[in-house]
Amino acid sequence: MTAPVTDPVAQAKAAIEYCYEQGWTDGLPVVPATQSDIEACLATTDRDPAEIIGSQPHLGRSITVAQAAANAIMAGCKPEYFPVVLAAWQAVTQERASRGAWQSTSGPAPLIIVNGPVRSRLGINCGGGAFGPGFRANATIPRAIGLMVRNGFGVRPQELEQATQGLPGRWSICLGENEELSPWEPLSVVGAAAPGADAVSAMLIRTCEYVDNRSTDSAEAVLRDLADTLARLGAYVGGPHSSGGLVLGPEHAQLLGSAGYSRADVQQWLFEHAVRDRADMVAAGKGEHAGMESDGGTPFPMMPSADAIPILVAGAANAAMSMVFRPFGWAAWSGRSVPVAWKAADHLTGGVPGGS
Amino acid sequence: MFEAIIDPTVGLAASSERDPTALAARPASLSGLRLGLLANTKRNAEDFLTQVGRELGTQYGVQNVLARKKPNIVETAPEPMMAELRAECDIVVTGVGDCGSCSASAVADGLLLEQSGIPAVVICSDAFTVSADAMADLRGARGYQYVTTAHPVANLTPEGVRARAAQAVPAIVALLTQPVTEPTVATSA
Repeated sequence: MTAPVTDPVAQAKAAIEYCYEQGWTDGLPVVPATQSDIEACLATTDRDPAEIIGSQPHLGRSITVAQAAANAIMAGCKPEYFPVVLAAWQAVTQERASRGAWQSTSGPAPLIIVNGPVRSRLGINCGGGAFGPGFRANATIPRAIGLMVRNGFGVRPQELEQATQGLPGRWSICLGENEELSPWEPLSVVGAAAPGADAVSAMLIRTCEYVDNRSTDSAEAVLRDLADTLARLGAYVGGPHSSGGLVLGPEHAQLLGSAGYSRADVQQWLFEHAVRDRADMVAAGKGEHAGMESDGGTPFPMMPSADAIPILVAGAANAAMSMVFRPFGWAAWSGRSVPVAWKAADHLTGGVPGGS
Repeated sequence: MFEAIIDPTVGLAASSERDPTALAARPASLSGLRLGLLANTKRNAEDFLTQVGRELGTQYGVQNVLARKKPNIVETAPEPMMAELRAECDIVVTGVGDCGSCSASAVADGLLLEQSGIPAVVICSDAFTVSADAMADLRGARGYQYVTTAHPVANLTPEGVRARAAQAVPAIVALLTQPVTEPTVATSA
């Protein structure tokens, strides 16, 4: 037994090391959680601490509200983020694609999107550098989801988790939608949440890829550029179609909006133009579903349908670039956003103080 | 020193604390036994199992009575499918665990059948033994033996699948007939 450590900084470091030794971390240091931290989280919600909020029946494992709180604190969340963590967890787990996601070789990441006034209240970035890093709420809310999968479900890399290569940012993609610079209604309204309400939407994605196009004032030119990336062969994994969605930068969104395109118009245009020649697919060894004999030479549509191309707006209006993201699996976004359930008293008093 | 730190894994029981899964007694001979095949939706899985069934029929006198394909690679087979297998089969071969989720769930299927007294052999590709073993551990059956075949299976031609299945047959027969004691993985390739 070594001598007791009395220096508070040394104690803090020792506590962090202790968490590593227990196997509780994702590789980065965690904030050790105590009972009073859990209580501070629980004080932000009316949920029962023992309520089961997720289970993996095939693993015989489930996770409770109280366990979610411990992992949120460990991820670095402030207690006042906790209602957003719970909404994000529900949004992620209600997606059909999440059922096998945590063990999959594809190793997909949750893409968590926040709408509503909570963005400014908690400091959830939707402007410059929305994909990160640099903002505590954006960084720690998705990390909490990752720690819940690891510590709650016990799904760990190279054990039950079998990701072939993984994904940069697997547990760090959370952004606000830049509603103020979007020409269209918030994504959460598409997801059936009330306009102006705090809500979280989630999808499972395999990658993000930029489309940088600052050279044109033609909406159709930008759409063509986006469609080209959406239709990329490498992302197609077989089956009846590929998958794709867009986080448009405000400049691209406004160019499209001012040219008269609604969100649905953009989706329709992209569905019609994100296509590949069937011969290209055969040449890449991916022709199994391309139906060469019966199609009469028409191109293969890479997107499932117009409304299965989710589109939102985030980032700064300082350069005309956008991000294509690639939903995991063949199930499109459920189209259901999850309202953030604030404790009634918090809401009436204008809520908790803003985040860092 | 760190008693105040909350354990975020509470609810995850260590392997030694779990109820062990009892494995089924093995028959001395396969002759005349009713075989069930439980495939998943991975490419070539059904063809692989069909060929295994044929070989077991011609070489060992097994009756092929039931072939089912479970709808979801992540979860165990639905209970009505399991009930059918339990009611109509004496032995089951299941697979092919050739992905992160389905290797683990194939082992879970095998262990559910074992628990009901039906000797079950799981086929996994050799790239996924870690997740297969993790599931066995999770279900209280550390060291549960299964048959591995070389990864990948999905890109094999029909002839390749047949050859691979034939290669796996001796290991399958061994796991169906020998008492399961050794905590090792039988390898066919």
